[in-house]
Amino acid sequence: MTGLLRPGQTVGTVGSPSKCKVVRLLGGGGQGEVYEADLGGRPVALKWYFAHTATAQQRRALEPLITKGSPTEQFLWPLFLAEERGVPGFGYLMALREQRFKSTSDLMTRRIEPTFRCVATACFGLASAFLELHAKGLCYRDISFTNVFIDPNAGDIRICDNDNVGIDRATDAAVGGTPRFMAPEIVRCEQKPCRETDQYSLAVLLFYMLVMHHPLEGAHEAAIRCMDVPAMTKLYGKEPRFIFDPGNPSNAPVPGLHDNAIEFWPLYPSFLRALFVHSFTQGLADPQRRVTDSQWRKALVRLRDAIMHCDRCGSELFYEADPAEAAGRRCWSCRAPLHNPWRITIGGQAVVLNGDTRLYPHHLQATPTYDFSAPMAEVSQHPTDPNTWGLKNTSSVAWTTTTASGDVLEVAPGRSLKLALGARVSFGSVEGVIEG
Amino acid sequence: MANRPGGAMASRPLHFIWLVDCSGSMAADGKVQSLNSAIREALPHMADVARENPNAELLLRAVAFSNGARWHVANPTPVEEFRWEDVEASGITDMGKAFRTVAEQLRVPPMSERALPPVLALLSDGQPSDDWQNGLAELMAQPWGKKAVRIAIAIGADADHEVLSRFIGNPELRPLQANNPEALVRHIRWVSTVVVQSASAPGTQQADGSPISSNVVIPPSDPSAAGPSSAADVW
Repeated sequence: MTGLLRPGQTVGTVGSPSKCKVVRLLGGGGQGEVYEADLGGRPVALKWYFAHTATAQQRRALEPLITKGSPTEQFLWPLFLAEERGVPGFGYLMALREQRFKSTSDLMTRRIEPTFRCVATACFGLASAFLELHAKGLCYRDISFTNVFIDPNAGDIRICDNDNVGIDRATDAAVGGTPRFMAPEIVRCEQKPCRETDQYSLAVLLFYMLVMHHPLEGAHEAAIRCMDVPAMTKLYGKEPRFIFDPGNPSNAPVPGLHDNAIEFWPLYPSFLRALFVHSFTQGLADPQRRVTDSQWRKALVRLRDAIMHCDRCGSELFYEADPAEAAGRRCWSCRAPLHNPWRITIGGQAVVLNGDTRLYPHHLQATPTYDFSAPMAEVSQHPTDPNTWGLKNTSSVAWTTTTASGDVLEVAPGRSLKLALGARVSFGSVEGVIEG
Repeated sequence: MANRPGGAMASRPLHFIWLVDCSGSMAADGKVQSLNSAIREALPHMADVARENPNAELLLRAVAFSNGARWHVANPTPVEEFRWEDVEASGITDMGKAFRTVAEQLRVPPMSERALPPVLALLSDGQPSDDWQNGLAELMAQPWGKKAVRIAIAIGADADHEVLSRFIGNPELRPLQANNPEALVRHIRWVSTVVVQSASAPGTQQADGSPISSNVVIPPSDPSAAGPSSAADVW
């Protein structure tokens, strides 16, 4: 026999009238095992702790989480405690992760191959989810590959292992974090996990997902023979150095060993690279100067807006607004030179106009609300002239545009404005200009 | 056409080597059959851990020892491709030769200069019949031997804990005692999962911030999982 529980076995739930029936073992980790279970006909996941982790402290940590409820639907949050007389330990129930969600490890080993748009969407989802978690006064403490799942088609995310979540700086943590993701001050045993260390770990995970490499693994990593605790303490704790530190190139990535870093990094727009530089230079040493969740959220939604396509091969690329940075850029796939794409600039920020581009409330309203279920505009093709493209008003209010001769035209809901260089459109509180 | 450039993230090899006692005494009471079954049963769980640790490229090998020592699986094999052919029990317990056999393969080359700490998992039910001290000294003379996470499972009551402890060489880790097939399954699974996880990500720090004394932190094996060790014992 293996496993702490048997298929068919029932366990009681605290706060739910139904008993929970174990269906099958899904997997095990350092703290316990996770089972698929049935709660009154509803499929759920049941985590059951090993005897040495089923502590009163762990139980006390779970109870307020169950009471508080999940910050967002992305978190597979503890719903009920589970226990059974005669069965050692205890567990908790949470929503079952849908099959469409794959492990971030699958992303890192290329077992899933999402688009840049999907990865950027997932990164945006992560920043948003942790913003909401931190806004509730909680900290997550163990951001890593193991705990984050991604839908490789849609870019939706799910975050599991929420039993380590606690009230920031108020409750004890059962975990110190996961190697390579822990903030340097935790690696050095100076600090326990808190919101600022979450922000460091989030930056590491975002870098991993976008650059497919660790932000501190450059020449210093290459020089290490045995990657054991002393080596990792030095690399990630005592002498951390960003691989793209503009002020100190000593830890630059090494060709042949760190090729993903070398290949991916220059593809991204300078505003995103600047945030990573900030995260892993000033933010390495000073937890108060880390990039915040809302800064990441804003930058990552902007990254989605910067996606364009190669004229020749159609590969996804990123629009670079800074002409000095943009000079000489080529497609990563076919090496064709990049041309500036059609875009609409609203409030100083460009949104590339692809055939499938949509504009959302955060683009067109002065107070940004991130709601991707309610597009307010979309790029559309003329019904009879496929060479003519427009911006269709899918909102409920009319826009206005001013012609070259000074006439003001209304773009009513359902109508489209022809995309033409220099065209200006007023969305009410903000104005956009079409550029190319 | 690829959606994005590049390849899989950079990883380091994690060499895992089983050192399996196939002496005649392992034939008693189905011990060798239990061992074969337990290793086979642990492989899918080991593969799961490997999948979740993209930093590590887990490569398995096995040495069988009885009258001498031989590579049972000689090539470092990715866990997904690893097949466990049953070992059979006969002969004496040339554990020292097994140490030497492993030591030869931990030299650089054939080992790469950059890797994660290797894991050496020793399973034995008896007393070594050869010069195990010199064999162990040869193993420990290799930098990768010294850096390796060395784990030992004592099968049955006659295993030599003193020798196994010397092999482990870490006072915080004691040999795991398997007095029945169930305990053997659990211990082998623990080595295949928890130890592999720890070697893949060796920096795991305790929440209490306690300093780390060895080069890889191994969480405790679940003491309740060892099963009965008295009348209910099969061996």
